[in-house]
This record gives sequence, C-alpha cells and structure tokens, in this order.
Amino acid sequence: MPRGQKSKLRAREKRRQAQEQPSGLVEAQATVPEEEESPSSPSPHFKDVPQSSPATGTPSSLQVSGRVRSATTTAAAVSSIRFNEGADNQGEERPKASQAQDTTQHWPRGPIDKKVVMLVHYLLYKYHMKEPVTKADMLRNVIQRYKNHVYEILRKASEHLELVFGLDVKEVDPNRNTYVLVNKLELSYDAKPSDDREVPKTGVLMTVLGVIFTKGNCATEEQVWEVLNIMGLYAGRNNFICGEPKKLIAKDLVQERYLEYCQVANSDPPRYEFLWGPRARAETSKMKVLEFVAKVNGTVPTAFPPHNEQALRDEGERARARAAARARTAALASVRSRAIASSSSRPNRV
Amino acid sequence: MQGSTRRMGVMTDVHRRFLQLLMTHGVLEEWDVQRLQKHCYKVHDRSATVDKLEDFINNINSVLESLYIEIKKGVTEDDGRPIYALVNLATTSISKMASDFAENELDLFRKALELIIDSETGFASSTNILNLVDQLKGKKMRKKEAEHVLQKFVQNKWLIEKEGEFTLHGRAILEMEQYIRETYPDAVKVCTICHSLLIQGQSCETCGIRMHLPCVAKYFQSNSEPRCPHCNDYWPHEIPDVFDPEKEREAGISKSNKRSLRSRQH
Repeated sequence: MPRGQKSKLRAREKRRQAQEQPSGLVEAQATVPEEEESPSSPSPHFKDVPQSSPATGTPSSLQVSGRVRSATTTAAAVSSIRFNEGADNQGEERPKASQAQDTTQHWPRGPIDKKVVMLVHYLLYKYHMKEPVTKADMLRNVIQRYKNHVYEILRKASEHLELVFGLDVKEVDPNRNTYVLVNKLELSYDAKPSDDREVPKTGVLMTVLGVIFTKGNCATEEQVWEVLNIMGLYAGRNNFICGEPKKLIAKDLVQERYLEYCQVANSDPPRYEFLWGPRARAETSKMKVLEFVAKVNGTVPTAFPPHNEQALRDEGERARARAAARARTAALASVRSRAIASSSSRPNRV
Repeated sequence: MQGSTRRMGVMTDVHRRFLQLLMTHGVLEEWDVQRLQKHCYKVHDRSATVDKLEDFINNINSVLESLYIEIKKGVTEDDGRPIYALVNLATTSISKMASDFAENELDLFRKALELIIDSETGFASSTNILNLVDQLKGKKMRKKEAEHVLQKFVQNKWLIEKEGEFTLHGRAILEMEQYIRETYPDAVKVCTICHSLLIQGQSCETCGIRMHLPCVAKYFQSNSEPRCPHCNDYWPHEIPDVFDPEKEREAGISKSNKRSLRSRQH
C-alpha cells in the first residue's frame, strides 16, 4: 500500500484525537487516554471513584453515549463531564490528582453525589434545549450503573435545582416518566417596560394566552393574528425582538408546551386553533393573563365581568391546590430533615 | 449542600432569577449584568438594597461551587470590556455549544478553532475555514451552508468576524479556556501580563512575548516610552486606551432610550 496523503492525514487525525477530549464534541471516541495537564482552574480531581472500572478499558459512560444516535449531542454534553481524570485512564499516573484533591470542595464526596452534580448539569442542559427528559434518558446518559439510586439522585438534583436556580422538576407524564423543568419564580410584568431584553417573547405569549382566554379558552388562528397584527407582528415578517412570529407561536411556544396548536376538526382547507398548553397552566394563571390584557387596554380585570369571574374561580382552585401541595411538602421536608440529621452523623463528613 | 465546609452564601429569588437570566443570555457585558441585577431586585425584593455586584456574584458562586458551575468574569480581547458568563467547570469540551448546533456544525467550529489557535494573528480567514468543509464529521456540508453556520456562530457569540476573518468571542474563551489549553498545549499562546489564554494581542518583535490589548493598555497606561517588559526593546505597536465604563454607560443609555421608543406595549 503506497504511503500517501491518506495515511498521513489519518496519522495526523489520530494524533489530534489522542490529544483531544474523547467526548470532545459529539461522537464520543471512547478509548482515548487523556494526556493533558490541568493548570490553574479548579478542575476536580478525585481518586476515590469506584464507578468506572479501569479494568474494562473504556469508561462505560463514554461507550454508551457514543452509540446512542438520537442523543448524540446530549450524550456528549454529559459524558464530557470529567470528574475523575485519574481513574478513567488506564494506567495513567496522575501525581497531580492527589495534590488537587486537598484543595477542592469537600462536597461531592461519594460517587452518588457526583452523579447528582452530573444530573444537575444534564437537566439544565435539557432545560436550555427546551426538551423534556425521560427517566430512561437520565438512566442512560447520567445514572448508568447507579440505577438503583435513581430516585435518590433525582431527588437530590431536584433540590439543588430548586434551591439554586429556582427551577422545579415536575413530572408531566407519569406513564412515561417524563419530567420537565419549570420556572418556579413567578413571571412578573411590573418590571417589563425598562427591561425588554428579558425573554421578550413572553409579551407575545401573554397576548396569545389572553386572546385564547377571552375567546372562551380556544381561539382560531385568525383571531390570534388579528390581535398580533394590531401589535405590528405579521406572519412571515421577522420582528426585531421576537423573530418570526408564526414560528414563535405555532412552533417554538408549542414545543415548549406553552401553547397547543391543533387543526380544527374536519376543516378543509385546514384551519387551526390555539389553546393554552400545560406549561402555561402551570406557570401562569387566568387572573394574571387577564391582568395583562386589562393593563394593555388601560383598564382593570373587573371591566371584563365574565372573564373576571372565571379567573377568580381559577384562583380559588389554585389556592386550594397550593395549600395541599404545601402540606405535602411540609410532610416530606420533615422526613428529609430527619434523614439528613441521621446521615450527618456519618463519619466521612468533615 | 449539607456537609460543605465552606461558608456558603444564601440564595434568594433575586439570585435565582439572576442565574436563570444569565443562563438564558449566555454571556453579558458588565453594564448589562448590572441592569440585570437591578431588575432582579426590583422583581423579587424591592425593599432590599442592591448588593455590590462583585459581592452579589461571589455570593452566588459560593453556592454554585459544589455544583461545578461558576459565573466567570472575563474581558474582551479587543477592547477590554468586562463580560460575564455562566460556565460549567466540570466540562472541558465544547459541550456548551452542543445544544445549539449539529454534529457537523460543531466540527466546523472545532476546525475554525484550530486554525485560530495555530494562526499568528489569532484570526482565521473565511477561505481557509471553508476549505476544510470536506473534512467535517457528520452530514455533508456545502461551503454555502458553512458560511451560514459561521454566521450563526457569530450571532451566538462564539466567534467574532472582522473583515472576512474569524476569531474567538470572549464568551468562547471564558467557556473553553481550560479545554483549549488542554487540547492544544503546544499551540496555545499566553499573555505575559495576565497569564491567561491569548488569542488576539500584540507581540514583541524582538523576543516574541505576547500581551492582550487591554493588558497592553493597562501596562503602558501613562508611559510615553513603552518598552517590552521582557527584553526592554521599544514596543512597536499603538497603545490602546484603557476601557472606561463611564463612557460606556453614557453610550448605553442613549442606545436604550432609542430602543424603548421602538418597543411596543406587549
């Protein structure tokens, strides 16, 4: 075989890959040992990691993720989380690792805690992608060999997400174990005027929700456009703040489950209508939307008696649901704090 | 967070909202970050006094530390503007971008990144990048497509374009510095003054040491006869001005006034 460009190129590629993170980008090239040094930044070096057995040769996380086609980018994002550069490399001696360990944070300690951190990153990633997460996704991409601890890991990750980011992990489909991250922080509109940099499409969303609500909880596409046109938003015309409106309302907001966009039964040529999506129901309320509609029209909710009544009824139901949830959480919290009290007496905490 | 030995800050809805919004934007300039902070206070805790930004961020970082996430502050290489981004410390690859781009697009970025790092000026020409389109992993990409993808990178603040050439946006440097230093240890350049990764900068023509433009600005600030800190030879380049946030704010206020006139009652 003549030695030529091809083999030279391949050699160069191999050399480059050898230097690279195995999960550098997308296709997790699993078997490459990492040779890099970690300079100034506080990259976590832990030696006490039993999870990836060096004996098997390849860190299992990378192998699995490399094969899952549909979740390729997802997997890469997750598998690239390196905690244990020392343990992952077959026979790579890392004197640096022990040095760094002394200076790092004392939490997370065990492998479960590290999985909790990975899951937090993974859920944030999915939140950013606006994609729901299934239990299967989590098991495959993050939990892996710790599947017996999946609920514990998920619970701890949820706590962190709630405490630190104000995001709630909500199960949206118990049959398929599908979860979504919901913004716990109330959507507020008082500060709107001075800050149109913040999620500008929220104004459009509220408007559409308003149209849907005031048209009896279901609005035709024509009715929605009538209102959006008045605001200067037209299908097919790119808007400086929110992009192309049709894509925003019929696709993006639907994908994010704020709206539902369905064909009117038996319509030919097909006509469509909008409904509130489950996420809108979770994150805002009829009263809030009515307040928005009223404000925009320079008036108050009571100026729309039938809608105001409906909104008030809705508020009542929500208040009752919140009270019930609080009772549940309080019960859970006391269980949790008892568990924590007992676990903090374990010896390996500093 | 139980069991942590470090004294941790307290998170309130103000901080959480701030984190959420910073996450959404990806990277923000300091002035925007200050506005963002004020907005969060206004929304969630009107009565409280607004913390000094540095303390506010340190507080949040102390809580984020155990999650291997950090709000990192950096400085743009061309004009020294302070920028902030939420960075995932446990990740050392380009995974942050993975959520927005396809496999072949990510590979295009990686090719551009390599060219940028290998270059003398820190810039890679559009032509050179596009010539590598055949080597990309994943779905086949045509040059025309690749041009659009490069623009997407610019829009998403991973690359900056100047006259047909591309370099790394401050955001990319903040997020990927560790990855870059580990992946290209021989090719990376480092600033003599701040010791951080250097993509764009000035170099001494005699001894070859390099400095970021804002580092040059600070180092030679009131010096009428700038000399290389290493070999003492005359520094041959134009010394840029030090970034002045006050001037920035004035410019920003006039910009936002224009914008609020345009914005609609949504």
